Order: sequence, then C-alpha cells, then structure tokens
Amino acid sequence: MMCSPIPVLDAHGHLRLRVRFPYKTEPEQMLEVMDALNIEALAVTASLACWNDVPSGNAEVNDVLRKHGKRFRGYITVNPHVPGEALRELERWSHFHNPPLIKVHPGAHQCPVNSPKYDAVWDYADQTGAIVLVHTWDSHPMCGPLMFPPIAKAHPRASILLGHSGVTWRGYEQAQDAAVAAPNLYLELSGSQRNRTMLERCVNRLGAERIVYGSDMPALDPAGTLADVFTAEITDEDKEMILRFNFLRLLGES
Amino acid sequence: MSRFSNESIFGEATDWSVWDVNVRVGPSGPNGHLGMHTPALLAEMSRFFIQKAVAGHWTGLEYDANVGNEKLAAIHEERLIPAWTPLPDTESISQLVRRKPSAVRLMPRNPNHSWTVTSWCAGELLDYLAQHRIVTLVAREDIEWESLVNVLENFPQLPLVLLDIGYRFDHYIQPLLRRFPSLHFESSTYLAYRQLENLVDRCGPDRLLYGSRLPLFTAATSLGVLASARISDNARLAIAGGNLRRLLDAVTVGGAK
Repeated sequence: MMCSPIPVLDAHGHLRLRVRFPYKTEPEQMLEVMDALNIEALAVTASLACWNDVPSGNAEVNDVLRKHGKRFRGYITVNPHVPGEALRELERWSHFHNPPLIKVHPGAHQCPVNSPKYDAVWDYADQTGAIVLVHTWDSHPMCGPLMFPPIAKAHPRASILLGHSGVTWRGYEQAQDAAVAAPNLYLELSGSQRNRTMLERCVNRLGAERIVYGSDMPALDPAGTLADVFTAEITDEDKEMILRFNFLRLLGES
Repeated sequence: MSRFSNESIFGEATDWSVWDVNVRVGPSGPNGHLGMHTPALLAEMSRFFIQKAVAGHWTGLEYDANVGNEKLAAIHEERLIPAWTPLPDTESISQLVRRKPSAVRLMPRNPNHSWTVTSWCAGELLDYLAQHRIVTLVAREDIEWESLVNVLENFPQLPLVLLDIGYRFDHYIQPLLRRFPSLHFESSTYLAYRQLENLVDRCGPDRLLYGSRLPLFTAATSLGVLASARISDNARLAIAGGNLRRLLDAVTVGGAK
C-alpha cells in the first residue's frame, strides 16, 4: 500500500459528503484512509454548510472536533447571503482554531468572491490573521483565480488558499499569476485534473513555500494528489514543505 | 535513495504487469506543452512501471484520422499497442482491416472526423469491430449516454472501453456494467474517494482497466489511487493489466498484442 514517508497535513477536506455516490464517508471511515496513507490531520468544512445550511453544517464540524480533535481541524463556513449570519457563525465557532480557519465557496453559494456581501468576512479574516480556503475554478465568474489579488492585497494579514488552484491547466496558470501578484495567496493542490509537469512549474515559479497539499476528501481520493507530490521532479525538501510544513506554519502549530 | 523515490512509493507496482489503456503519442495542438514523441513517452511509462500501453496518435485524434494512422504505423515499438483511429466509410474500413487492428479509438464527435455511432452511419464499422472483438476505445465526451446504450444493444460482442469517464458518474456506469457484459471503462479520471473499492464491492474488478491519460496527466495519480485502494491483490492485478490482456487475447485479427 502506498504511504507517505512523512506525516501529512491536509488543508482541504469535507464532512459527510452525501452528494453523487457516497461510500464510507463517516469521519471514522475517513480516518481509516488517513491512517493508511499517513495523513496526520485533515482540515474540514461541512458539505452541508458549503451547499445549503451553514449553521447546521458548522455544528457538524464542532461535533467532529469534539470527538476527534487531534485528527481534524475545523473550517468555519460562511454564507454571504444571510444578513449578519457570517459574523455570527465566525464568533459562535471561534473556538475551532486560532487563527481561524474560514471556508468560502462562491460557486456553491452563487456569490462572486469580490461581492460586497463578503466584505465583513474579509475584514474579519484580516483582523484575526485567518486562513481562508476558497473554492476556485479556471476563469469562473464567481471564483476565478484572477479575482483574488485585489482581495488579498486589501487584506494582507489573511492567508488565502486558492482551493484546487483553478483545477485546469489554464486555471493553474491563473492561480500562479494571482499568487505572484499577492504574497498572501497560496496554491492548494486538490483536484481531479492532475496535469503532468504542472506542480514542477508552480514550484519553479512560486517556490514550494507557497503551495499546500489538500485532498478534497471525501470527494476525491487523497492518494491521487499525494502521489503527484511524491513523484514530482522537485526536491525532497520541497515535497516536505508542501505535504506538511507550509500548512503547519500557517496554522501556527510549528 | 530518496524516501520519495518512485521505487519507494510504488515499488510493488513492478510486480503488477501494468498495462495502460489510455495513452496518446505524438505532437498536440492544444496541449503542445505536454505532447511526447515515442522515446520520451516510453521513458515516462518506465518511470511509473507501465510495461505496455494502448496508444492513439494525437495527430489522428486531433486532426486527420488517416494521417494519424500513418504516423502510428511508423512507430515500431513493442511496448505501444496501436489504437487506430477509424472512420465509418468503406475505404477507411478497408484500410483498417489491412492494419489487422487489436484496438481502435473512436472520435465521432471530433469536428475533423464528424460521424455518428448510429447503425445507419457506422454499422459496417461497428459490425467489423464486434465480429473480431477489437478493443474499442471511446471517451465519454465523444459519445452520448443513449448512443452508448444503442451501440451496446446493437453490437453485444463489441468490447467497448469508455475512457475519461470522470469521477461523478457511478449512477450511470454501474447500471450499465450490470446490463452490458461487453462494457468496460478505464481509471485515469476515476478518482473519487474509495471509488475503486466501492466499484469492486458492487460490480467486481473485471470491468475496470488501468489508464493514465499520459502524457496529459501524470501517471502518478491513477497509479497512486490503484496502489492505495482497499481491494484484494487479485483485484488490483486485474485492474492493473489483467483485464486489458484478457480483452486483447480475445481479438481474432490483429497482430500487435
């Protein structure tokens, strides 16, 4: 069985993904997979929160953190459409992690990431030095990577993870362009389109310290992106930064 | 040796006899930065312990079927099993027959090929492929689900391998696998969490063929998912190459096994 030679920190996970074709997605069943691959901890958002009901979804995260706090970190997911709810949720679940982990899903919530509806969230993230994981997609009108530099520059204390790094080859190019423009933008690697040589290009252009491993488990199999990192033609030190130490540093746990 | 070396990570794959059903060779227009000629492709296959691959020629897939087939014919490499690009007209079928094919890749929706898999258009071609059990590859984006069903109903002996299926279509593929014994699919984009395990639990391991999608994708992803799947060793060996070899062994014409 393939297994990571170092304990991995995974910046992109979900709880109870019940869409499409769920199979053994309970947290305890995810831990079986994490143990086999040597994934030490997984930062999760509730799928229910991403797609529909933020307060109930964040409560699911709270339950899992109570039960398996060493193995999971919790993102607080926000919905920009309900007036006042985002800040209420950020305060309600502020015990999840310090600095806060915030999940923004502009595609699912159908709200452009640069909408004024998100202003309070970005201000909160800047004030607290939060890590904000945002779903991105190549040229997407809600969350294309090139929408992010102005947001990142206006909120320099926030660390913004470009979830999936735009996914496609062109999306990755856009994510790199964005990260060059703003030092607090990071590439997060989860995704189903693993183009050959792309990770090497990102490391060469940005440096490995701007890239974090994420799986999107239990949507995607964590082994796919892991194997891409393991076998990329970059140094072992770069791989260790991507798989563990960069996210550890952002979490303030190093 | 680095603890991240391919041998450390995938060492067990050396014993799997990995045969890859989804590879392209040659130059590419839209993916020119990723195209590979034969020596580089073989080196990349070796890096991931892939012994042999069914390979289409990008010139045929993107541009002209006959030009691509001529380029494919000029590659004399026993590790690459040609996937010829057929067209449904009589002259093209005659050319295909002369090549004694083991595998073909259909590209009906490519505007440079532009045909339909319906019997009134491609019946003669599909009948020939089915009669000789020629391994027939077609990407999901190149065939509508209902057209696929029509082909499987009308040509039940045709060993059809659906490529690039993605990871969101188990509600489609699993019922079709149960209904059509000749349907198979490949693994390069079948990357959802515990998806291989789920498939093997529900449908068995015999209908999934290992595919990398080289040189577009890194082979690491599909190999990593296969290497870590919680399935039996026999199931892993079947997916890695046994199923493809079984299909190729059943071809009744052709020579490039």
